[in-house]
Amino acid sequence: MFQIDLRNRMPLYEQIVENYKQLIINKVLKTDDKMPSVRDLAKELTINPNTIQKAYRELEYQGYIYTVKGIGTFISGDFQNSFDVEKANVLKETIKGAVLELLFIGFPEKDLKDYWNEILSSRKGGENNDRG
Amino acid sequence: MIEVKNLSKSFNDSKVLSDLNLLVEKGSIYGLIGANGAGKTTLIKHITGVFKQDAGEVLINNEPVLDNEKIKSRIGYIADDLYFLNGYSLKAMAKYYAQIYPHWNQERYTKMLTLFNLDEKKNLSKFSKGMRKQASFILAMSIMPIALILDEPIDGLDPLVRKKVWKLIVEDVADREMSVLVSSHNLKEMEGICDSIGILNEGHMILQRNLDELKSDICKIQIAFDGEEPSDLQEKLNILHKEKRGSVNQMIVKGNVTDIAKLLQSYHPLLLDVLPLSLEEIFIYELGGEGYEIQGIIF
Repeated sequence: MFQIDLRNRMPLYEQIVENYKQLIINKVLKTDDKMPSVRDLAKELTINPNTIQKAYRELEYQGYIYTVKGIGTFISGDFQNSFDVEKANVLKETIKGAVLELLFIGFPEKDLKDYWNEILSSRKGGENNDRG
Repeated sequence: MIEVKNLSKSFNDSKVLSDLNLLVEKGSIYGLIGANGAGKTTLIKHITGVFKQDAGEVLINNEPVLDNEKIKSRIGYIADDLYFLNGYSLKAMAKYYAQIYPHWNQERYTKMLTLFNLDEKKNLSKFSKGMRKQASFILAMSIMPIALILDEPIDGLDPLVRKKVWKLIVEDVADREMSVLVSSHNLKEMEGICDSIGILNEGHMILQRNLDELKSDICKIQIAFDGEEPSDLQEKLNILHKEKRGSVNQMIVKGNVTDIAKLLQSYHPLLLDVLPLSLEEIFIYELGGEGYEIQGIIF
């Protein structure tokens, strides 16, 4: 499903959390889909089960998954994207860096706005498709 | 659970371990690292009940290990120098183990034999080094250990076999909450599999922590200022190591990573990168920072 990168400096449990968030946000994993058990995922990725446990706890804390005792862990349907200021700041910094680099390599400043609208409209298009 | 309390040991006049503490929780994988001659194998031989300590306690599931048949029958141990009875095949060794270890699991033995594709009828002395290690692993896992002690287990194993070995260990940790203690110099591999780390140096445990906590406690910073570096930086930060490369400063700083980033941000640097350290870097800077010689610990 996804790869863990041991060369990446990000802690392993964070890599797992981020990977799952992406899968959930992009609706690869849908509401009430079952997550693999800690044991199975640990075996598949050859990672310490405690690391997986920690990642699941974090995902549950952030509201992406829920656990039914004795049955398993599932994807939440109504998870509210609680606004994470820290995360937003990090993402804003990333955008800033990318935009500055884009201008530096010669991307015309006047085209920035069009590009920005393009991103936003592609997102809206995706939403429409979801409604079918 | 493996617990070592205030362990000391001397051979003749030389002190090898002094006042050493160690704790491996149930269902945890603990990585023991240290330079050559730091005392890793001596410590392991105390945990497996081979050596008698001068002072202190060695407990597994709250019972002393030394001369304790019941506990010893639950320890899986893969030594650095493997030993098999002379002229024995793996099959004969298994038969011997089955008589000694009350929790011997023949079904598991057969399954693992197929998985590793070993010839159980062949004389073990004709096995290659790597195959002997696999044979030893099969035997150790088939006694259904509550504690698995591995002294440099990965040497001589090919990547495919290594993966198999770790998968089986991970499974037992998840299913039966087996405690695992691994000593190794392969820090990359340890980083992926261990949840706790202990760094041993000259018979002392200089650091023992959860690996994620450890990583959030020390970081590498690349920073550049417009003009001079603020003079109070040295006082406000616990800097282990500092290097200047052109106009960019590189520092290894101890302390809460988020706090450090916030503090540095307040100086409005031109460039700021806060990176977590790899285990290898932690090892080197921790040892170097406490005034030990970095040389001699080269991986």
